[in-house]
Amino acid sequence: MGRGLGRSLVGGDVLGRGIAMAYLSVVALIPLAAVVFKAFDGGWDTFWNAISSPQATYSLRLTLIASLIVVLINAVAGTVIAWVLVRDEFPGKGIVSSLIDLPFALPTIVAGLTLLAFYGPDSPVGINLAFTKVSVVMALLFVTLPFVVRAVQPVLLELDGEMEQAAESLGAGRLTVFRRIILPNLLPAILAGGGLAFARAVGEFGSLVLITGNIPFDTQAASVFIFSQVESDNIIGAAAVSVVLLVASLLILLLFGWLSRKALRHDQ
Amino acid sequence: MSIVVDSVSKNFGDFVALDDVSLNVRDGSLTALLGPSGGGKSTLLRVIAGLEAPDSGKVLIAGSDATNTPPQRRNVGFVFQHYAAFKHMTVAKNVAFGLTIRKRPKGEINSRVDELLKLVHLDGFAHRYPSQLSGGQRQRMALARALAVQPRVLLLDEPFGALDATVRKELRAWLRRLHDEVHVTTVFVTHDQEEAMEVAEQIVVLNHGKIEQVGSPRDLYEKPANDFVMGFVGPVTALSERVIRPHDVEILSEPSDGVAEAMIDRVLHLGFEVRVELTLGDGERTWVQTTRGRVEELELVEGAIVWLRPLDQTVLPA
Amino acid sequence: MISKYGLRVVALGYLALLLGIPVALVFVNAFQDGIGAAWDAVTTPEAQHAFYLTFVMVIVAVPLNTVFGVLCALAIVRQRFRGRALLNTLVDLPFAVSPVVVGLALILVYGRRDGWVGEWFADQGIQIIFSTPGMILATMFVSLPFVVREVIPVLREIGTEQEQAAATLGAGGLQTFFRVTLPAIRWGVAYGVVLTTARALGEFGAVAVVSGRLSGQTETATLFVDNRVQRFDETGAYAASVVLALLALVTLLAMNIIKPKEAKA
Repeated sequence: MGRGLGRSLVGGDVLGRGIAMAYLSVVALIPLAAVVFKAFDGGWDTFWNAISSPQATYSLRLTLIASLIVVLINAVAGTVIAWVLVRDEFPGKGIVSSLIDLPFALPTIVAGLTLLAFYGPDSPVGINLAFTKVSVVMALLFVTLPFVVRAVQPVLLELDGEMEQAAESLGAGRLTVFRRIILPNLLPAILAGGGLAFARAVGEFGSLVLITGNIPFDTQAASVFIFSQVESDNIIGAAAVSVVLLVASLLILLLFGWLSRKALRHDQ
Repeated sequence: MSIVVDSVSKNFGDFVALDDVSLNVRDGSLTALLGPSGGGKSTLLRVIAGLEAPDSGKVLIAGSDATNTPPQRRNVGFVFQHYAAFKHMTVAKNVAFGLTIRKRPKGEINSRVDELLKLVHLDGFAHRYPSQLSGGQRQRMALARALAVQPRVLLLDEPFGALDATVRKELRAWLRRLHDEVHVTTVFVTHDQEEAMEVAEQIVVLNHGKIEQVGSPRDLYEKPANDFVMGFVGPVTALSERVIRPHDVEILSEPSDGVAEAMIDRVLHLGFEVRVELTLGDGERTWVQTTRGRVEELELVEGAIVWLRPLDQTVLPA
Repeated sequence: MISKYGLRVVALGYLALLLGIPVALVFVNAFQDGIGAAWDAVTTPEAQHAFYLTFVMVIVAVPLNTVFGVLCALAIVRQRFRGRALLNTLVDLPFAVSPVVVGLALILVYGRRDGWVGEWFADQGIQIIFSTPGMILATMFVSLPFVVREVIPVLREIGTEQEQAAATLGAGGLQTFFRVTLPAIRWGVAYGVVLTTARALGEFGAVAVVSGRLSGQTETATLFVDNRVQRFDETGAYAASVVLALLALVTLLAMNIIKPKEAKA
């Protein structure tokens, strides 16, 4: 079985796959396992105490709520932007479209600095959002911008106008067409992009450090809390909250992935 | 180089692709593997090439056992239905590939490539890329590429399947002429009986992983081994539970010995041929092929009663 | 009823306020004391070392992740083995892990005090955490998935026929790989490399944890920016950011050039 061409077909050998799996383990899997082990190094009690400390709980709540808000805003803004990029024409559209990927390409610390420049104490227009919870949301919005846009764009491109025209010929107004025809078709993509955005947001660090001030019990996100715990040598505490973040990200990705697939099946 | 397939079986999971298949292909011959989709012909070809390993049985090429030899060393040329062109290489580099990896001297490679491109009428296209070629041209390039290393055997897997009808017809004739010139043992797979009949010297009919019959085109048509072969290789119609060729039924306007009575349902004029659909006395429906001349001669119209007599040209053993 | 122009204004306005203006402002601020001052700020020994360190991390992490990416993609697409779907999912892990957790994870394995293998390395005299190797590992972790993700669909697309053809023409495994497979997937690999490089360049959180942030020694370009802000050296921070932003724009350019070729292949 699989002999004949098996070994001579490129990529068909066990060596390549062994190397790949070993590399993955060394670089990523084993280190992550170490975090999980450390989190429970002092037993379940220590773990529980660490994640239920007031500061930890606050930071986790802040992160989750802020990320949720960001996903909701992205769902709307991302769809609108994708719509404009696909259905509208204006000079410079190509450049704008390319710039959507800027948050992917730009270091997060620089992203934070750009926001600090415009929305911080030295703002040229006098808006100072630094050290507020709003700044947390803003930073997360910056880094998660491309996810929903890039997920929705190809789906919008594929949608030929025929379904909408059919609906209009049957008497549907524009809003109805959007609600009943377009949106259901975009929903799987919005959910998929939203899931990725959520997972990214809960773990975000670099863009937050400058503009939020990292104030405990105020604007300190979970990732920043973990960082501070590492710096204060409270390793188990850091590991414990890390495990919570990891589990949250994975659950979110699973949940949104499931929702997205469910929405897809609805169409078929 | 002759090919011998000895009791080869191949399963894909539960699916039996080849069931104890044995076959002899004469050196220098042009053979077609004919059959419906899923019948096993492509699998058999790929087993001969070494692209699939048989579960049991042997493959001998030029008398030596090649069953455990990988395709690299069998020296068989293979042409794929969808060309498998190396898209990132020019036509010339595609054709040269086999020679390049054997590290032949550049001069030799260049002259061989030129020679082959002329042979397949693609001289002038040497520096184009496959994406700039039509389907037919790509397939000719694929053929040149396969021939470049002077294979002992040339295998083609539905080589014209992806091309449109006119190009197909051209390339069929062209393959026949090429074989006349190059004389390499050639086996090709097709599901098109017209193609097999037109091109091959010997046809192997495969169905459900088994060989139904091996023979010349004429043998298959006039002396089919069973219903399946008869039906696959040419048109058939039924007359009193006998399967018969529709042009082997005579239409008479008066009863006589050994005839069946029938009423004409429809007369279809399909160009030169005319197809007459009838209902027999027992309610069975059948059809017969005849000519325009005959239709006029007998004044065949809907509703007319006629008598049908089978001519004993192609009749299956009872 | 929201008109077409209304939507356009909302979309462009959102992008301008969130992205466009802040980024543009960084360029303005960098040169507010003149080009000379900006240039000086990014050519101090500290700054140069920071960019050099970033360069080192990229030059090590990207090729390694590229080789891994191609091997992994080949295994996932071309082979059937138990755990294939799992491998496919695990490759995406770095997307779900916060950078600071990455840093923590590496400390737990390679830290000299209680690290799983850290003590052994320390005995050999090799320092990983608070030193370049640790930062390289952090960079490798976070930029791991990109080549795999980009190559997998391309591999699926091209199928195996070209490689089968090469086999019948006498090419062995390696010959086929270098002459047929790799050229066929090259734009997928290229795009993946661009994304990997961008991610490696921009890494902050993981290296912040792992580096110890010793200025002039274990400070990357991104850490340098943070360092300058902490020391109220605005020009330095903005100027370094401009360099990084320009690199990001080059990345975007490369993405835009390569993406259509990847799609066409």
